[in-house]
Amino acid sequence: MRLAALALATFAATAAAADADWQTSWDGTLYGYANSTAVRNDSVLNPGNQIAGLPQGSDVAELRLNFKAENDTVRLTARPIVSTRELRNTFGTQHRDEGYFSQWQVRVSAAESWNVAAGREVMNWGAGQFRSPSSPFYFDNGRTDPLRELVGMDVLKLSWTPDRQSSATLARIVRSGYGAMQPDMWRDSWLAKLDQRGGDWAYGLVTVQVPHMPAFYGAHGQMTMSDALMLYGELGSSASAFALQSSAEPTQPFTVQVPSSRRTTALAGAAYTFEDGKSLTAEYLHDGHGYTADEESAYFQRAVALPGMALGLAPRLLGRDYLHLVWQSNMMGEVGYWRLMYTRNLTDGGNELAAYGETVLASRLSIYGLVILPVGTARQEFSALFTRSVTAGLKIALP
Amino acid sequence: MHWAMFEKATMNKILCAAVVGMFCLGSSAIAAPDAYTILKDSDQARGGGLPGIVWEIRVTSRDGDRTDEPQRLVVKAVDDSSVAETQEPVRFKGSKILQVQRNMWLTRPGLSKPIPISPRQRMSGQASNGDIAATNYAGDYDAKTTGTETLDGEPCYVLDLSAKHNRATYDKIRYWVSVKRLVGVKAEFYSLSGKLLKTARFEYNNAIEHDGKRVPFVSKMTIHDALVDAETTMEFGTVKVKKIAAAEFDLGQMQ
Repeated sequence: MRLAALALATFAATAAAADADWQTSWDGTLYGYANSTAVRNDSVLNPGNQIAGLPQGSDVAELRLNFKAENDTVRLTARPIVSTRELRNTFGTQHRDEGYFSQWQVRVSAAESWNVAAGREVMNWGAGQFRSPSSPFYFDNGRTDPLRELVGMDVLKLSWTPDRQSSATLARIVRSGYGAMQPDMWRDSWLAKLDQRGGDWAYGLVTVQVPHMPAFYGAHGQMTMSDALMLYGELGSSASAFALQSSAEPTQPFTVQVPSSRRTTALAGAAYTFEDGKSLTAEYLHDGHGYTADEESAYFQRAVALPGMALGLAPRLLGRDYLHLVWQSNMMGEVGYWRLMYTRNLTDGGNELAAYGETVLASRLSIYGLVILPVGTARQEFSALFTRSVTAGLKIALP
Repeated sequence: MHWAMFEKATMNKILCAAVVGMFCLGSSAIAAPDAYTILKDSDQARGGGLPGIVWEIRVTSRDGDRTDEPQRLVVKAVDDSSVAETQEPVRFKGSKILQVQRNMWLTRPGLSKPIPISPRQRMSGQASNGDIAATNYAGDYDAKTTGTETLDGEPCYVLDLSAKHNRATYDKIRYWVSVKRLVGVKAEFYSLSGKLLKTARFEYNNAIEHDGKRVPFVSKMTIHDALVDAETTMEFGTVKVKKIAAAEFDLGQMQ
């Protein structure tokens, strides 16, 4: 990666010297926010918060910057983030300072229609909001920690864009970016992606070849039916590195399958926008990697004896079928934005309500808040770990 | 004899030339170009039919007594594709709206992925997303000339436009195009049912070089809402005609 990035940088420098009409810019946002989380006292998966050690309160200050320099041939971008956070729970207080590049890229226009890029890039696509089944890297879509930004994958990328309707990408995934779990399952994998856009439709096909694993196949598409209505879908077929098997018969023990069998995950969605720009979105997700109702029930029964194993090896979603509704204000509104979310795990009947709001106090100053309210018991997915999470913060636009 | 024949032949030629000349003069004086040609010419002054255009747009909106914060956008556009990047307000800097035909996406620094948006989710004020892109009325609308009118002392063709397809920003437009300058000076935008939605006036104090010619170019578009007391002004500055790579409109390369 370093060698390739160096070669690209050298090429970029040569190209830049030939075309010196550089445009540079920077901006940033300073965030300050505090969170309070009511951890579930009777949690089966995390009894007494001893397994996960979830923070019950946190204070965070974070600076996110954007730098860009470009001319007709070369584009350099970087998004460094520095943060300091204090995390508190009944066991004590932790202080954590971080500094990293969430994204960066050197992109060179190598020839007509061809671009070469090296850097750290969030390789996430498709229209799904609840989850992203067509991206193998970001299935979670940032939902687990909504205020923390996704970190890109370290990639070398070759893109061919013969016209405005088509593009093809071949990428070498060198490794996952900053803060990835180890061992890094995406290290040294290959990605190929094809995108097509027509009058009122767009779709993409993707495959990722991971060493020693079955290939990932994904697809996403959207159709603008009218000025108001959009239909979309995402699909992914994959095997995960391991799967915690939970037989529907509770007397049977957990077993771990390495790697898991191939399963399909599909999301279908519709978004309707009203005259005033507010929109209502409904999504249905079927995740073949999740448990059936009986399997999930048995999972919680076994977790009483093996909470660490149950939590540590849990599938990315416990259930198999989900409904996700979003009611939100115009995303292009200037003075504020709000979003109400309702998610139902159709497998275990659990629910989650969430609300996000943001308002502008001055041109550069905004305040925002996020409330997450799981509704259910300790043996339902959304309410298994906490009963309430409240975050409030402010952000200041720079310069 | 020779002189007489020469004189007769010369007279015939002069007569012929006069007849042809009068015919040409007459036809140019009374026959207007067809509606498509008028539209195509007027589109060029609003970015249409060019290999690509980069312009900076300053948008100010007023709704009743409330005045929105001004927006500044840098727009790259070719035909029916455009990408508009917000420069101001600073809190939205780096936000981009990508439009490829009828597909639209919104991206922002730090967003987990681009969000597809519907044409109804438009910018604040009276401007539609299509208003910030290059104009391609000749491609998007069927046109017929209904006559001429004088607007602010300037003779104009009056065209009635009907959308050819659902990708067009408006259903129907009545468009006044200057006879002399061949630029659109006024537009009325109507719903499918014929209800007047808004009115726009255009100014052309910019100029671009294209095919070795100096072409007048739009500098200001003022849009009045026909239903409420609201107005949006778009001022177009630093206009550059240049070829824009297709990759600029590729969602996967917008980092």
